Amino acid sequence: MTSRSSQVLMAEGLARSEQVAAAVEACYEALAVNDTEPFAHCLLSHLLLEGDFYDEAIAEATKAIELDPDCSPAYLALGLAYDRRGGMWDQSVLVWHELAEVVPDLVTAHVQLGEAFAAAQFEEEAIDSWKRALELDPKEPRALYNLAIAALKREGMATALPGFRKAGELDPSQDDLFFALLGVKAIPDRSIDPAKVREDRESRLGAAALAARADDLFVTAELVRMVLDENPDDPDALALAGFAYLKQEAANEGMACALRAIALKPDLATALYTLGVVYSRRAGLSKHAARVFIAFAKTASQHALAHVLLAESLLGLQRYGQAKKAYRVAVRLDPACVRARFGLAAVHLTEGSHAEADWEVRRAAYYDTKRQGLFWRLYDEYAEGGAS
Amino acid sequence: MSGNRGLWRESAKHVSTDDAHRLYEAFVGQDPAEAIRVVESVRAAGVAQTQLFDALYVPAMALLGGAWASGDIDEIAFTQAAVVAEQIGSFVVPPVARQDTGVTVIVGTMHKDHHTVGKDIIAAALKESGYRVNDLGLDVRPAEFLERIEETGAHIIIVCAEMLAVARSVVRVREMLVTAGREDIVVLVAGGPFDADPALARSVGANGIVHGAESALRVVGRVVTDTAGGESA
Repeated sequence: MTSRSSQVLMAEGLARSEQVAAAVEACYEALAVNDTEPFAHCLLSHLLLEGDFYDEAIAEATKAIELDPDCSPAYLALGLAYDRRGGMWDQSVLVWHELAEVVPDLVTAHVQLGEAFAAAQFEEEAIDSWKRALELDPKEPRALYNLAIAALKREGMATALPGFRKAGELDPSQDDLFFALLGVKAIPDRSIDPAKVREDRESRLGAAALAARADDLFVTAELVRMVLDENPDDPDALALAGFAYLKQEAANEGMACALRAIALKPDLATALYTLGVVYSRRAGLSKHAARVFIAFAKTASQHALAHVLLAESLLGLQRYGQAKKAYRVAVRLDPACVRARFGLAAVHLTEGSHAEADWEVRRAAYYDTKRQGLFWRLYDEYAEGGAS
Repeated sequence: MSGNRGLWRESAKHVSTDDAHRLYEAFVGQDPAEAIRVVESVRAAGVAQTQLFDALYVPAMALLGGAWASGDIDEIAFTQAAVVAEQIGSFVVPPVARQDTGVTVIVGTMHKDHHTVGKDIIAAALKESGYRVNDLGLDVRPAEFLERIEETGAHIIIVCAEMLAVARSVVRVREMLVTAGREDIVVLVAGGPFDADPALARSVGANGIVHGAESALRVVGRVVTDTAGGESA
């Protein structure tokens, strides 16, 4: 483990508890005692970046790297500062390349490197970087969205849209939406035994939803069947069955259940979700998908992803202006929604607004790295003296 | 029943519940040939291809879901019926490809400009909407636009330019068309300089500005409508 001064440890504690001003002050105090400690410079860089002081963040991260060329969190802060400042793509490419060398299995470094290449108009190199990221993590959403944007630039929306949808399907947040509609948050920590579930509708449906959350679709099916045996016209049970079938790639069974559920309860959000997803996956049903997702977005209006799904269906109909409105609603509801940010970038590109598109991609990067807590991961690994 | 009644409205309008029930029976009976016969009979009764899915397939699938829920059919029968439904899907799904408009549009980025993205996105959107797009690529000289107009008989060209100096030079395209006696050609321009300054488009002799893909569909559509109506574009 690499030793840090007590002042740095205090600054770390303040930074982790998001007391930014106090943490910045503590960093300066640490540097007044010893200005050759890379931790203090790198931490200060991270904090300055949080406050949008890009040039200062660049200076501090650079010092940290000069003091220790293996200081991986400093590369992250430096790369993000270059990207967010804009207009320094050549430096940005070098930094992300360096981070990818220092931490070769860091997927985000390759994604960022690709975005820096793309911003510098090196499209082929950008695509190679995103493909490298996907080799490390085949479900990396930003790499997939970036490749979809690259396809849009070359061949138009018809080619790009399947990429957006595929990225969305691989992104677990789409399932999260369904479970949020059901009020299920966490994945249960133990498996559910249908025989031990209370014999009433609510308990069974609740347990079925939890089982689906844990991907135990056989238990879901068993519990749903118990509910339907008592009342075959239970729309909530049918909607859950539809989702379970969809998860097993049985789209027609999913559609049949969702349609029956909607016939019984037209505004049932869970059934509308399943039906919309089934329609959006079938060629020729773009209009149908949009119609269903319009109803869905009204019913689940507080969920950002509901508006994203609507927006994507509108892209399929070449209604870019309407898609933009839906994406904007999504971003307003959840500024960290990477999928909405990339969708908005795509719409901006169709309008010829390249600067705005780049800005959305950069915002997606900012929120994505923040959501992942990547700085702290690298910082802790560096402090441990590990591979990073 | 409220907001989403429109999702299934089509079925009541065009097809009897008997037809949907016959299709459902064909699914459950694992009889794709009968399912196709039902589809064809409904089509022959005057239901358009674009409406078959909503009018016939959707209610039949809802019946299937209901039958599974009530236990009228078991899990295996449900899956087998879904397979038949899949097999006849292509008979009821609206056609994917947009109808050919028969209208040719020539697209290209002006001489000395190598920006591709805007042009590519506009060209792809027009193609997807059924226009016959003739993409001349990058760095296109005015004479090439004229040559391709003569070859294809096109009446609409979209000239893209992302740099101010290049945008100003688009006037050479109009001058060449005038010299060749082709004042009838509709010249649309696209690119940042024209977005920023619409007067620039007028000064280079353009008939309109295209602000991206959706705008291209709207403007070209209006030109086609106006031309068909005998009006000057």
